[in-house]
Amino acid sequence: MSPSPWRALLLGLAALVVLAAAAPLLISNPYASRLAQLLFLNVLLASAWNLVGGFAGQISFGNASLFGVGAYATSMLWLAGFHPFLTMPVAAFLAAVYGVVWGWPCLRLRGPYFAIATIGVAEATRIVANHVEAAGGASGLTLPLEEDLGPVLLYAVGAVLAVSAVLVSVAVRRSRLGLGLIALREDARAAAASGVNVARQQVTVFAVAAALTGLAGGYYALFTLYVVPEKVFGFDLSISLVLMVLVGGIGTVLGPVLGAGIYLFLEQFVLASLADIHLAAFGALLIFIILLEPRGAAPRLVQLVRLIRRRLG
Amino acid sequence: MVDLVSVLASGILVGTVYAYMAYGLGLIYGVLRVVNLAHGAFLTLGVYVTWWLNTTFGMDPLVSILITVPLGFALGATVERTLVFRLRDSPPVTTLLLLFGVWLIVRNVLYLIFGGADRSLLTSYSLESLVLGPLTLSIPRLIVSGFSLLGFVVLALILKRTWAGLALRAVAQDREAAALSGVPVNRVWAIAFGIGSALAMSAGSLMSLFYSVTPEFGARFLLKSFCVVVLGGLTNIGGILIAGIGLGVAEDLTAFYLHTGYRDVVSFLVLTAALVLRRADAD
Repeated sequence: MSPSPWRALLLGLAALVVLAAAAPLLISNPYASRLAQLLFLNVLLASAWNLVGGFAGQISFGNASLFGVGAYATSMLWLAGFHPFLTMPVAAFLAAVYGVVWGWPCLRLRGPYFAIATIGVAEATRIVANHVEAAGGASGLTLPLEEDLGPVLLYAVGAVLAVSAVLVSVAVRRSRLGLGLIALREDARAAAASGVNVARQQVTVFAVAAALTGLAGGYYALFTLYVVPEKVFGFDLSISLVLMVLVGGIGTVLGPVLGAGIYLFLEQFVLASLADIHLAAFGALLIFIILLEPRGAAPRLVQLVRLIRRRLG
Repeated sequence: MVDLVSVLASGILVGTVYAYMAYGLGLIYGVLRVVNLAHGAFLTLGVYVTWWLNTTFGMDPLVSILITVPLGFALGATVERTLVFRLRDSPPVTTLLLLFGVWLIVRNVLYLIFGGADRSLLTSYSLESLVLGPLTLSIPRLIVSGFSLLGFVVLALILKRTWAGLALRAVAQDREAAALSGVPVNRVWAIAFGIGSALAMSAGSLMSLFYSVTPEFGARFLLKSFCVVVLGGLTNIGGILIAGIGLGVAEDLTAFYLHTGYRDVVSFLVLTAALVLRRADAD
């Protein structure tokens, strides 16, 4: 499931080449271009969520708090006159700092307690963001339309970010850090007894995930040119990440990528016609996956690929 | 000074309702070790059923408790028998996600039937208040607070004096030992989930007297319920009552001295702090 570093790097480059080749098609009209941007955004967010939710088994319902910090950092600095590309590292850094601020105490909790604590943090953050007048309060910030980076540049930035997030997943999965996290997920006491520094490893990987989520927030601001607390700090965003990863396959490298695609497809094509029942549809999907297909789509895809290989000889 | 006393009094009255609203969540966790994210769904259903009975038949919210309690019990026991039951040996987070799915469906159904508009329910005594010297207390709050305390007394009697209560406490203490002594654990689980949901729905009936009725009602009060339960210690009636009152007072003080917009921030921060500080219980 997780290729060696060199192979991963090669696959990453190959993915970028394929994405570059597909670019003319995907930026041919504004709608296609927006779909590609949303797909890159979802891959980035889901892969970041999976670092902690999948590998360490710590389900976060609070990633919107990190996304929002990134989105606001980019927007406010851009409005202050900085070049948007310069704002992205700041977005990542501030999100990582905020992630450590609340992740450090909360990650000492496990399972449902961690999940509930993250809801508390994210909702508190959302309410406070609604009241910060310097950041536009509840009505949010509108970015200068005339400084739009244009579809080509936005596509390129998104592709690089999404591929990098997957490569980070591979790197973490194969590192001592990743092995420690998986040991922790399977049995926290045994992991601690075998010398895994449970607290530090979780916080380290959470900071990485937070930085990626902050980058995603910055990227979102670049292509939507509009940030508002109810959206970027919203609970719905946090939930959609959990769903993406569960649909794709939790705790795998491929899962979040698949899930990001499946989720986008469902959201854009299936639910667009069923807007009235989209919450119920997501609820039913969640129940379905948990009861019948808890490992998600990724293992099924791997099975399918193996089957085809065997057929071909 | 009079302001402060009024704020405290109103906080205490709201706090008893908070305790009543949260108790079902603690009971379900104590017996099944399941975090019931569908608690918000039952709270919201209680509010809507009460509002509907009031607007259609003119039924008083306090009378509608006679309907929301059995309805809540039946719905809760059904959710346990059909869904939660299948995950009894899975990690607790999977059940939490499953019940979250149930909540999404209920929320959506309420949007479809009633729309997203804020509604409110008005009775003949909704705007009455009792003047005690310099203090003014709202009558609905006094009534609701009294009913919450009464609810606690009934619940304590059920848990202490009945066979079902004894079985619930036995399973909460040690599931295997209870099963070995002939307690039908499956049935006890369904009963616990039923009682927890009945409490949530009847809390909705009471709260409809002074909160607006929207499909998002449960989202706000689910987190407050967690806060109360975690602070108060899951199934400890006394602890939960104190935690509920503590939260009610803290919120009213924040709203009064800081900003009404920050009222809910208090509960979320207290929730997270309580979880982190009580982590010994969590392991």
